[in-house]
Amino acid sequence: MKNWRYIVYGIIIALAVSFPFYTGLYLRQVAITILIYMGLALSWDMLLRSGQLSFGTAGFFGLGAYTAVLLQLGTGAHPIIGIILGGAVAFIVALGLGFAVLRLRGMYFAIVTLALASIFMLIVKNIPSLTGGPAGRMLPSVVFGGDASKMYWLALAVVLITIAASEAFQRTRIYFALTSIRDNELVAKSSGVDVFRYLVFAFSVTAALQGIIGGTYAQIYGFVSPEETFNVNFLLLPLAMALLGGIYSTAGPIVGALVLGALGEYLKLQIPYGHRLVYGVIIIVVMLFMSRGIVGTIRALTRRGQDRKAVP
Amino acid sequence: MESATRFKWKYVLLPLLIVGVAVVLGVWKPYALIQGLQRGGLYALIALPMALILGIVGIINLAHGEFMMLGAYFAYWLSVHTGIDPLVAMIPAFLAFFIIGALTYLVTIKPVLKAPELNQLLLTFGLAMVLTEFANLMWTSQSRKLPLRYVYSSASIGSLTFGTFGFTYLLGAVVVLIALLWFLRYTRTGQAALAVGQNPRGAKLVGIDVNRTYLLIFSLSIAMVAAIGGLFLTGHSIFPGVGAPYTMKSFCLIAMAGVGNLPGILWMGLGLGTAEAFVSSFQGYGGWSDVVFFALLIAVIMAKSYRRHTA
Repeated sequence: MKNWRYIVYGIIIALAVSFPFYTGLYLRQVAITILIYMGLALSWDMLLRSGQLSFGTAGFFGLGAYTAVLLQLGTGAHPIIGIILGGAVAFIVALGLGFAVLRLRGMYFAIVTLALASIFMLIVKNIPSLTGGPAGRMLPSVVFGGDASKMYWLALAVVLITIAASEAFQRTRIYFALTSIRDNELVAKSSGVDVFRYLVFAFSVTAALQGIIGGTYAQIYGFVSPEETFNVNFLLLPLAMALLGGIYSTAGPIVGALVLGALGEYLKLQIPYGHRLVYGVIIIVVMLFMSRGIVGTIRALTRRGQDRKAVP
Repeated sequence: MESATRFKWKYVLLPLLIVGVAVVLGVWKPYALIQGLQRGGLYALIALPMALILGIVGIINLAHGEFMMLGAYFAYWLSVHTGIDPLVAMIPAFLAFFIIGALTYLVTIKPVLKAPELNQLLLTFGLAMVLTEFANLMWTSQSRKLPLRYVYSSASIGSLTFGTFGFTYLLGAVVVLIALLWFLRYTRTGQAALAVGQNPRGAKLVGIDVNRTYLLIFSLSIAMVAAIGGLFLTGHSIFPGVGAPYTMKSFCLIAMAGVGNLPGILWMGLGLGTAEAFVSSFQGYGGWSDVVFFALLIAVIMAKSYRRHTA
């Protein structure tokens, strides 16, 4: 049974890696977009597992994107180094801020993260000499000379790293720490969980992932601007995807990103303006009727089926 | 409980400090002070209905500014089609959004009242997105403004000439504040609402219909903020994203004043508006005024959290 599971994972990964060989340019580009959002959705969910709702994904995403682009423009470093440093900058900023903001809970934490994302955007906007101000900066060429297949593999690699991190969060003692903090912080604390340290750890790791994803995005599209890079899309879509797929799991955000990414691409063609309406509706509907998401609901259904089998 | 007899220095020193800052600012940068008071009045005006929901229903409505935006669009179209003044359009906006608020409450808010706070936050966030995108879809992202004469009325004190219309916001904030305080203290429904806000179970035990109170307060708050949208329309251009910053600012004021402290919202609003206007008054640093706002927001929330931890 267990081996069977790994074979399925292997097939999925093989399919994902070989994806550019049997698809056209358009599909490859759609896949890149979906992968970017998938990584964000997953990293957002990873922090949510500790019970902390962050609205700051777009902020760390933008921080990584700007770092990657400015580093390359300034020093001519290799794009991959820029991406890694984008993650590092997001990590350090989140670590510093985390010590302060992670004393907050609930709505206070959520609003402050939203405010932080706005601060990043405004600071970037107000230093034109470095960041190009409202117009942003452009790379002379995109990564890999615009080869869509290689860009796809880059995005896939980043998502695989995120998945690995998410699984590490699920399979090690981090899982028990975060889950106990989410369920009851006081109990977690009295059971010897260093709540604050785990929260800072989860916050900075997810920020680093968001920074890496942002750097990748900037390298793939070759430009950064305050309005585009800190766009609400990079908050709204990952949230909708993770919620639709099912929160508190690795599979949920992945499934949600695939479903919503494909649907979103279709909607963008159908209603160019206001297709984001659908994402908002999905968030509301999931919160009202299906708070476990697709994966959670399927799991609950199959579990119920097993229970029924167990009863003679 | 602190003893009532103890003399509290903060009630003497704080007003003195505020007056002192105001006098210094009034002499040094009079325009910043005037503009700050007008701006701050608007912030407080918009924040008050949100504080009402947060204080009594216990829900942070992240779609608050978006309802104001919709109210402004409502007043705009009413004004364009029938020719009435947007200030008059505030009345139909109030009535229409009372019903819309009630429907929103029944369909979306009521089911998550018992859910974790996380679900409530996400739900109202989704609501905010839906409303913004709805406006985007219906009326495009083009910004709209009504040509109104009286908005440009001005007055002079000595060599100082400034627009007076902005003081309508301040006046509105004071009126709404007094009306709300009166409602909560001296009417039966208001007292019941206050009781529900303090302890829903206790209120239920003494025979208050908690659900109906929630419905009433939520609808009332949405209706108020939509009507405020009509007032907002007189002095500002409107576009689908216009409300979002006000959600943040409203929350910021409530957090600064403390949940349940309605008069505090007015003071905090004036302070915040003045601080922002002061920063914008320096040539070339206008873009940083929003940074000031966010930095202030975070600083105040952090300071409050530390006090909570040490207390």
